[in-house]
Amino acid sequence: MGISLGNSMLGIQVSNSVIDYALSLGADFAELFVEQNHVNTISTLSSEVQAVRSGIDFGIGIRLVYRYKVLYGYTNQIEENELKRIVKELATKDRRDPSTQKTNFDYRKIMEAHPAKKTLSKDACIESKIAFLLAADQSARATSNIISQTSGSCMQREQQIEIFNSEGLHTDDTRHYTRASLTAYASDGIEQATGSSNDGGLRGWEIKDEIDAEKTGNEAARQALVNLSAKACPSGRMPVVLGNGFGGVIFHEACGHLLETTAVAKKASVFHDQMGEMIANPVVNAVDDGTLTNEWGSINIDDEGLTTKKTQLIKDGKLTSFLADRLGSAQTGFECTGSGRRQSYRFAPASRMRNTFIEPGETDLHEMISTIDKGIYASHMGGGSVQPGTGEFNFSVQEGYYVENGQIQYPVKAATLISTGPAVLKEISMVGKDFELACGMCGSISGAVPTTVGQPSLKVDDILVGGNA
Amino acid sequence: MNNEHSASAILERVRENGAEGDLIIDEGKTLSLRAQKGELEEHKVSSNLIFGLRVVKEHRVGTAYSEASNEDALNSMVNQALLNASFAKVEPDEKIIDISGSLKTDDEILCPSDIVTVEEKIAFTLSMEKELLAKEKIKNVPYNGVSDSIVQRSVFTTSGLSANSKQRYCSATAHALMEHERKTVMEGSGRVSREFGELDYRTIVEETYCRCLGLLDGEAIPTKHYDVILDQEYQPALFSTFASMFSAQTAKDGVNPMRDKVGEIIADERLNISDSPHLIDGLGYTLFDAEGTKTETTSLIKDGYLQTLAHNSATAKHFGVKTTGHASRSPKSTLGINLHQLHISEGIDSESILYSGEYILITDLAGLHSGANPISGQFSFGASGYLMTDGVRVRPIRNITIAGNFYDMLKKVSAVGDQLFWNQGRTTVMPHIRFSDVAISGS
Repeated sequence: MGISLGNSMLGIQVSNSVIDYALSLGADFAELFVEQNHVNTISTLSSEVQAVRSGIDFGIGIRLVYRYKVLYGYTNQIEENELKRIVKELATKDRRDPSTQKTNFDYRKIMEAHPAKKTLSKDACIESKIAFLLAADQSARATSNIISQTSGSCMQREQQIEIFNSEGLHTDDTRHYTRASLTAYASDGIEQATGSSNDGGLRGWEIKDEIDAEKTGNEAARQALVNLSAKACPSGRMPVVLGNGFGGVIFHEACGHLLETTAVAKKASVFHDQMGEMIANPVVNAVDDGTLTNEWGSINIDDEGLTTKKTQLIKDGKLTSFLADRLGSAQTGFECTGSGRRQSYRFAPASRMRNTFIEPGETDLHEMISTIDKGIYASHMGGGSVQPGTGEFNFSVQEGYYVENGQIQYPVKAATLISTGPAVLKEISMVGKDFELACGMCGSISGAVPTTVGQPSLKVDDILVGGNA
Repeated sequence: MNNEHSASAILERVRENGAEGDLIIDEGKTLSLRAQKGELEEHKVSSNLIFGLRVVKEHRVGTAYSEASNEDALNSMVNQALLNASFAKVEPDEKIIDISGSLKTDDEILCPSDIVTVEEKIAFTLSMEKELLAKEKIKNVPYNGVSDSIVQRSVFTTSGLSANSKQRYCSATAHALMEHERKTVMEGSGRVSREFGELDYRTIVEETYCRCLGLLDGEAIPTKHYDVILDQEYQPALFSTFASMFSAQTAKDGVNPMRDKVGEIIADERLNISDSPHLIDGLGYTLFDAEGTKTETTSLIKDGYLQTLAHNSATAKHFGVKTTGHASRSPKSTLGINLHQLHISEGIDSESILYSGEYILITDLAGLHSGANPISGQFSFGASGYLMTDGVRVRPIRNITIAGNFYDMLKKVSAVGDQLFWNQGRTTVMPHIRFSDVAISGS
């Protein structure tokens, strides 16, 4: 399956010709992003295979830059004339005499840091994935007869990218993503509640050797049962302990997005003028690292062809770096961090997070909980969103407990945490030892990209909890 | 080869393999523009074409898609769909609907010719940002833009159906950051239309500015239960968040609490909710669903009683009823269900009743995608708005949360307004509804 055109998906000659044409219209910079994406997804429901889906995405993104202005177009058509038509249409208003000399392509072979064995193009391993999902389903159902339903999904994707630009860059990469998940539904005949568990990585189906179907099913069922028994959540300002792993979504949303030059360059981030300043409690150290082997948010090169890096964002509470893509770097003067990412050829790249986490500290989880008079232990966070301009965020608690006199009392439901990024960074008073990473999808200006969030358990001294008790 | 010929060749191959199938072809062209600091920050043009095939062979369903349109890729798509079907469970309810003939939307109404030039659209974008930036206390307009899209959908089936829809969608939006004495607020507004020329950036500028100014000094209010009215954007958004309550697919899957409640009272008796795909003023206008079934108005809740769930042909067969024309499928997805244009009928309560006494007007909800559980009905969102008395703003409110159970809220209605409004996206039409006794957390 596929439309391979030899070693290059687009062809050197066509790429040369289109980029030459863009520069002849006065663009300062021109880039072609060619993508072919094979996807296979298996879903299960009611202990059966619900669907097997597969497909090919293919297209070419064309980016012209006139100083800081980005002109972007894309098409599924591979013909040179169609690509030039888009270039011409894009440059309609900005066309001028050529100002940039093109550099000949110099093919740069990437260093593969994330090896994959059981790749989609070799074998979709459909039987093995079905067996995994049905085993997880059985485990969940064996936990309790209150588990009324499960739905499972196993997605594998092989993304081939090829990048040409007017500075002579020609490089390519193949990324292998695999992710499996199970959602369990618990019902007592009156109410229903859900729980879920998932794992994934930048690797092939060999990931099944590390994720256990029984554990996946048990965890989803456990959470559904806890949520079914949950009581209404108290509301108001109170201390909250955020659980490890996906609890890091708060840092990702409330602070990470504000450190992307996409927001910084527009001064749409509250941190845009705070480089080198104390923006967090001194116990906080935060990193965005694209180099972690086989992690879900890792990359060899970013979607502009630049080698990715490990970036220390906050050190002992002090802001030390922003995440800069090529344009963001030019606009702000901060060094490129290999963070230019996009969902697909349909999006121009933007500065985006990769594997973003708060580094481990010294405190034990039980010690944190024991310091709470009245508050919440949010052991598992759900999703949320942030308004970059003000830093205001909201996050749902997927699994939470009311804490009183230092003791967990009972599970709570329908809780949301709201605050602002700058405020919550300063309210983090304790950082745990139990560091963990968790995978997710991050949606922003350049689409949805795989990102990892992570942290040890953290204590936030004061945050608004929205419940309906 | 044009799309019709491609479809014919693909479906012939499906038939040759002893299967039946339907093919969706989505094709689109889009222009989008964004301004920053008086200059065009992004200018994007795109064209896309995607084929999505669903096959049914020996009662097993398989799907595959391709964005590559050469013959090899399309043949590969057919083979992949057939292979995928071989792994699927036996699904006795899902078949390709046995309808032939053709359906076509009216281009003059749904896809009017573009008489606005690209240069004029650029000027519109720049003016919108410039005029907002010129407003007092506005520091930035970080998110703004316009788009003009033509979207075509074709559905072809092995039973001989050919359905074609072509629609134009034009939009303009702006979100501005206001700052004054260390207080910041970001608010926005937008408009959509079938014709770019009908968009007026001045309305968006004024609305955005007023929304920012109104909320800048907002503060939390004491935690307690209040009566609540949501504004023209967020009341429809709340109903959309829980729209899966009407899905026969989730009912079939055992994860819809309304599954066994058809014929029962599930809402206040003043609520009459339907899906009205043929309201021509809406941008959710839909002539046929993803299976090619011609759509019609469907009464979902009448006088508080659940009338029916929304069905595609597979769920209809499963539950022993007729399809309501609510099949959904993108080229990349399997068969599902969605509503086209949610329509809540106007009530009898005048503004003096609707807005009497103290209540909170919610003008912003945050976390709709993450803070709601459509299975249990539970929700908890960040919110902003105004404390109101007798329709008059008492003070702005920020940093609060609103929480509750949507399905319980449907029964705790204290008034239904007598005036209808469309949401900004023009996909939903309804009157204001006053909900009583809603949990608000603040100071």
